[in-house]
This record gives sequence, C-alpha cells and structure tokens, in this order.
Amino acid sequence: MFHPKAIFRILGILLLIEALFLLTSVPVAWYYNEPVVKSLLMSVAVIAGAGAVLSYICRNAGRDVSRKDGYIVVTLIWVIFSLFGTLPYVLSGSIPDFTDAFFETMSGFSTTGATILQDIEALPRSILFWRMMTHWVGGLGIVFFTIAVFPIFGLGDIHLFAAESVGPMRAKLHPRISVTARWLLTIYIGLTVICTFFMHFAGMGWFDSVCHSMSTIATGGFSTRQESIAAFGSPVIEYVTTLFMFLGGINLSLLYLLIFKFQVKDLSRDSEFKTYLSIVLVFTAVITVGLVLTSGMDVSDSFRAALFQVVSVQTTTGFATANYVQWMPLLWLMLCALMFFGACSGSTSGAMKCMRISILFKVMLNEFKRIVHPNAVIPVRMAGKIVPTGVQSAILAYTVIYIFVLLVGLFVNMGFGLDFLDSFGLSVASVGNVGPALGHYGPMDSLATLPAGVKWFCSFQMLVGRLEFFAVLLLFTPVFWKRR
Amino acid sequence: MRIVIAGAGAVGTHLAKMLSVENENVVLIDESEEKLGKLESLFDLQTIVGDPTKISALKSAGVNETDLFVAVTPHESRNITSCVLAHYLGARKTVARIDNYEYLLPKHREYFNSLGVDSLIYPEQLAAEEIATNIRYSWMRQMLEFGDGELVMVGVKVRQNASILNIPFKELVRDIPYHIVAMQRGDETIIPRGNDVIKANDLVCFMTTHDQIPYIRKITGKEEFNEVRNIIMMGGSRIAVRTTKLIPDSVNVKIIENDLARCHKLLELVDDNVMVINGDARDPELLASEGIEHTDVFMALSDNSEMNILACLAAKREGVLRTVSEVENIDYISMAEGLDIGSVINKKKLAASTIFQMMLKTDVSSVKCLTFIQAVVAEFPVNSECYITRRPVKDLGLPSGANIGGLIRNGKGMNVTGNTMVQVGDHIIIFCLEHVLKKLERFFR
Repeated sequence: MFHPKAIFRILGILLLIEALFLLTSVPVAWYYNEPVVKSLLMSVAVIAGAGAVLSYICRNAGRDVSRKDGYIVVTLIWVIFSLFGTLPYVLSGSIPDFTDAFFETMSGFSTTGATILQDIEALPRSILFWRMMTHWVGGLGIVFFTIAVFPIFGLGDIHLFAAESVGPMRAKLHPRISVTARWLLTIYIGLTVICTFFMHFAGMGWFDSVCHSMSTIATGGFSTRQESIAAFGSPVIEYVTTLFMFLGGINLSLLYLLIFKFQVKDLSRDSEFKTYLSIVLVFTAVITVGLVLTSGMDVSDSFRAALFQVVSVQTTTGFATANYVQWMPLLWLMLCALMFFGACSGSTSGAMKCMRISILFKVMLNEFKRIVHPNAVIPVRMAGKIVPTGVQSAILAYTVIYIFVLLVGLFVNMGFGLDFLDSFGLSVASVGNVGPALGHYGPMDSLATLPAGVKWFCSFQMLVGRLEFFAVLLLFTPVFWKRR
Repeated sequence: MRIVIAGAGAVGTHLAKMLSVENENVVLIDESEEKLGKLESLFDLQTIVGDPTKISALKSAGVNETDLFVAVTPHESRNITSCVLAHYLGARKTVARIDNYEYLLPKHREYFNSLGVDSLIYPEQLAAEEIATNIRYSWMRQMLEFGDGELVMVGVKVRQNASILNIPFKELVRDIPYHIVAMQRGDETIIPRGNDVIKANDLVCFMTTHDQIPYIRKITGKEEFNEVRNIIMMGGSRIAVRTTKLIPDSVNVKIIENDLARCHKLLELVDDNVMVINGDARDPELLASEGIEHTDVFMALSDNSEMNILACLAAKREGVLRTVSEVENIDYISMAEGLDIGSVINKKKLAASTIFQMMLKTDVSSVKCLTFIQAVVAEFPVNSECYITRRPVKDLGLPSGANIGGLIRNGKGMNVTGNTMVQVGDHIIIFCLEHVLKKLERFFR
C-alpha cells in the first residue's frame, strides 16, 4: 500500500524544516558581516518554497502512512535534503560544481566527513556552519530529529522511525517514540553544549568550538581547518576531542540512563560497551607500541596520536591529528580494520557496530562447538540475554550486503582508474561513514581530484551505509513495488 | 496516561493497539517474545519480555509511575498476583481478568480492593450476559440496557419493508418516542443529521424505553418470533457454560462439543437441563438428528472464529431463524455482518469497555461496547453542577462523533431534544465513537 500524497506531504513538511536548519546560518553570516547572506536567504527561500508548495498541494492527504511509505520517505528525504542542501554552496560560489556540492552535503548528512574542499579556511564562516549543521542533524537522523522536535506525523511516526532506525536491536526508553526521541535529543544537545565549553576552555575560539563540537558529537569529521584538529597543535584539544568522540560512540540510550537515571550498572554490564572499550584500549596499546618502535615519536606523543586516531576512526568520525597513511603499513591496516567495526549501536557512529561484530564472532565460535557437539543447543548471548536466531540471520545478511556494497565500490573505483589501495580505502571509508581513506586519500588529502563518477558512487555508498542498506536497497527490489 | 498491560494474548494485544492509537503511553509485558513479535515496530508502544508476576519485570516496565495496570494473561491467579504486586509497586489502578464467577460477587469486592485489585473483568461472563439479553428479542442485533433497564439501546438491521426508510431525519424526528443515535452502512458509521436518511440494510441504533420496543419493532418491519424453546450451542467454551447459567431453565439447551474429554468436563460445569453431545456441529446429519429444524437459536461459541461463522451460515440454511456467533477476529466482524448471520459477539470488545471505564477520571456508571460499530455507549451520572447542566443540549458543542441518547431522571427514562436542560441527579446516556470518549470528560467537571 502506497500513499503518494501522504508521502509528498511529509516530504514537504520536512523541507520546511530543512529551511529552518539552514536559517540558523543566517545570523552567523550577519554576525561576521559576510556577503553570502543573500545567497543563504535565497537558498532558504527556495527550500521553504518547495516545501510549502509540496505540503500545500498535498494538504488533503490522509494521515495514513504505511510501513512501505516509511521506507520511501526515509530514503527520499535523505536524498532530497542533500540535493537542496547543495544550494548554499552552489549559490554562494563556495563549491561551484554541483557534483562536488552534492558529495559534500551527502558526506555531511551521513556524518562521513570526507571533503572535496582544498582551502577550507577561505570559505565564509556561515557556509562552514551549514556544513556542521548537516553533520549535526544527520548524526541523530533527519527523521528522528524531526520526530523529536515536531511530532507532526501522528500515527506515521512509528513507521518512519522504524525505517530510519539503525542497529540490530533497538529498545525504547519510553512507550512513545516522540518522547523517546525528545529524551535522546536532550542528551545530544547536552553533550554538544558541554563539548563546546570544553573545547573553548581547551583553547579554541568560540566559532571553532561550536563547529567542532557539532561535528564531534555527531561523529562526523568536518573541520573548520584544512588540517583538521592537527591545525590547532594542542594536546589538550586533542584529548578533549578524543573524549567527546568516544562519548559520541556510546549508545545514546545508555548515556540517557546513566545521566538521568544514574544507572551506572547498565553501562558496566552492557556487553557492547565493553567490546567497544576493549577494542579502543587494545588497538591504542598496539599502535602506541608500533609508533614508538617505528616512527621516532616519543611515548606520550605516540600514545596521544594512537588514541586519537583509534577513537576517531572507530567512531567513524574521521578527524586527524597525524597523517596515518605515512605510518608503517601494519598500523594503518589496523585502522582500516577499525573502519569496519564502528562504535556502539544506537550511537551516531556508522559502520558495522560493535554489537554486530561481537554477535558475529560468537556465531562463528558456536559453529566450532557445533561440530564437536552436533546435538547441542548453543545460544548466542549478549549481556546474558539470548539473541534470537532471527536477529542472528539478519546480522549475517547485513554483513553479506555490507561486503557486497563495499566490493561493488571497489570495482567502480578501479573502473574509474584508481589504484587498488585508493579504491579499497575509499569504499571502506564511504560505506562506514568514516571519511578519510587510505593511500592517496588519507586524512590530510582532499578528494577534489576524484573523477565525478567516483564521487557520485561514494555519495551513494554513504547514503546506504548511513541508513544501514536495507531501507535504501529495499526500494530497488521488485518485491517492494509489487502489489502482492 | 501510562498504561501497563500484562499478557499479550488476544485481549491484551487488542487493548494495546487500541490505546496506542489513542495516544496513551502503552507498555505491554509478556513472557513470550513471539507473542510480542513485531508489535513494537508497528505500533507506538513499548514491549517488554518478562514474567508479569516478577517484581523485577514489573519494575522495568515502570509500574511505579503507572496510572492503569491491566492483567489479562490466560491465568487468573497470575493476573491477581501481578495486580497485587503492581499495586504494591505503586500502580494507581489495577484490573485483573478472572475466570471465576464467585470473585465477581459484590460481597468480595472490598477484599479484592484491600489486596490492591481495583477491578475485575470476566470477558466470558460479559459475553454470556450479552447473548442472554440478545435472545430475548430475537429480531434485534444487539440490545443494551441502562439505568436498570429504564433506557435501552436497540440495534436493528432494517430491511426493505421498514416504514422509516428514505425519510430525512428532520421530518422523521417529530414526536417520536425514540432517538436514533447512529447508523452503520457498510463500513461507514453515520451519526445522523437533518438531511440523512435511513436506507435498507442499514444497522440502526435506537435509544428508547422498554415499553416502546414493540413500536420499534413495528416501524422497522420486523416480525416477532416465537418464544425461544430450543437452543443448540456449538463448542463447549467458557462462554457457552456461562450462557447456560443465564438462560431460563425452561429452555432446552444442547451443547455439541467435539472433544470427548471436554464433554466430560462440561458435564461437571453445566446444570441438568443442558444436554452435552459429543460430535462435530458442522456435520449436517448430526444437526438433523439433534433436531435442528425445531431449534430457535443456534449459537456458535467455539474458539475458532472462522468455524463459528461457517457453522452459523450452515444453520441458517437449515432453517434456523436466529444465530449468534462468537467472532474473535475484529476484522471479521463487518464481514460477518455482511453475511447476515445475526448477532456477533466479541469478547475483546467487551473487555475493552471495562478498560475504557477505568481510564476515565470522571465517574461513569457503565460503558458498553457495540459489536458492529467502533463505538461505545456510556452512562454518566451528573453528580453536581458542571458544564453540561449550564446550557441546553443543542448549545453544548458536543464533539462530533458523540450523541446524547437519552437521560434518566428520577428513575424514569426520557428522550432528549435540543432544548432539554440536564439537571443534577440525572444520568445521561451518551453514544460516542471510541476515541471520542475521553473528550467527554470535561463536560462533567
């Protein structure tokens, strides 16, 4: 069952909301007296106009939204938001090329953080603020953000929410999703505000602090500097950023329970969080040793660089303080592995997520046990609870599709003439929403030189990766469109 | 309002869906993950896997902040236990579904209240009561009584021969001893306004007094059937047992039950005037040998809705004038209606009406559900001066979807016109669509 009118009505309303988000850049432009204010206002007008027209034409649509509609709305809105989100870049001339602008916007909304810009400092601050805004909204999810702020879709809420929500098992905090969403948004805003103050007191200017905290909590990766966090050259800022990237990688529901209900036990008992923490610690330790032995940095510098890069890559943020592609190959290969892992489900990070990784690992171990004890009933447990077989097979399917999309990306990129390492790195970093890749496209390089086809395919990978494949790819299956 | 429902069976799931659609905060607990299934991703509610008789599970469902706790698992003792625990943990009101008629007796009420169980529901008993009132007037689809029978609501399916067809309401309503509160045409519920007309095959709800029932029968063109003497019931379910208790001893009742073990059990449960027959009630030969042609009412009360509908169709073909079927699946009700198989009973809806009553903050004497419309009829006592007593009915601005059916003043039922002023001490009967009920509260404050 499809309700095209209802879909367009929701899309219209969401566009109006995007106009509101974009409007927040206007005061920035005024404050810094930037001439782009005109093109910003024009973009707001175009987006709001499109939204108003759509929602006006379809104002009589029924309030019914089916599950299928939910998937269509969610996929479309991410694409439409990115399309309209290019307006400020293109109209202001900051990114004149449409392909580049779309790549940048999609990279923003999907919290990937890969950039085609080559001289970030030269851009007007209001445009930089809009870049960060795309991260911040995309981090929580466009629809999720909207449900939290304006629960306007009524009964359709639940279908939209289900279509956009990620992670293998998502538990609600409150019987109503609008309330759950509002609670999580509170945490999200709270973290961002706290992060801003920390960054400011660590030595950043106010504008940089606000921008970086939006990017950090959303685990995005855009920076206001071409050299990312390395530009500040301050160990304190690096540690603060590391801390908040790490927090951004924790399940927001867990943080909510920890902060508002003082349930420390939940965090310490959560096996996903434990996996996350141990991966960070082990990888940091190994890379520190590796750096001390091979790079000539001293122990404290090595530790800081290792910790920063591990957290940055695992939470799929993608900030950089060191150009890891110049490290010895084993070390950047370890970071590449982290690009697969990702942080906790229910966080703003991308990639596979620790929950899936540990379930996969347990499923694999169980296969060995099953060979020895063919008749044994062997459960997979997470935090003492048995993972239903349905969830297990969903995770296996997820892994297969993840690898499939990744390989297709590899073929496409090599088809456009990139070398193997670049192609592989770009594919991994795009699907996982990480940002910086390997080879010639490491953390200190711009992606501006990529062929247009690669940019479009990477944008596609970012989208499917952010929405965890099924929601988007479902629309490409004939079954979805059949009336049966 | 936060509502915790323990038990994701038929009644629990129905309640949870209905309440979540009405923007209540619903938490559903059940031990079985399969039963909870995909509910959480289809409806805006929270599901928790856990045993509702365990304190830890109740705590994780947030029972301490709950306004209403509903225990509707299949086991009576567990329902009571979980209500007691929920009350102990801070739930404001608790309802338990029970299976034992004794518990309902008024003398035990205080004891159950002291345990922390505020209200008891016995859906099978409610269903049996409805069946028993329905067979008294066999030409009606449904009859509900209010204020000790002072006012009755009668649902009748009108045919081509009714005298009230195709007359606009504004002409129809002059000097009549009844009030039409709603009509059901196909899937559409109509609250009649001036220019609406009644058409053939509409289900019309009349609100009237007992002595006018023959008049209603006349204008709807119905014949009075003979007094009910012989009843055949298919399926020895709990509803069947409760129904036999409410039917006068002079009526011959036969229960046809497929399962021999259940037959033996039934013999212990029913009175002597009931004959228990082991066999398949869908078998025409068995029906013939049990005298289907002399049967006045055929009741299909087994646990299987499809079987009940088919059995009623078969019985109609055998010449039984009146059939009653228990249809569990709510989506089937309008379909069953289209098949013309007489009254349809649904125990989930009956249970839901009790829950509705619990949800209202205003005092309400009774809430009754209509089977064939998504609507309820509620009886509100007017205990003190409030909004509704201040102006005539036509200026009250009742929400659309609500309609005053009548009022009971000094123990006498009367009809309401636009100029009627409601007085303190009256009981008002209001017909309303399910989701409108809560909006009525403010009229009584």
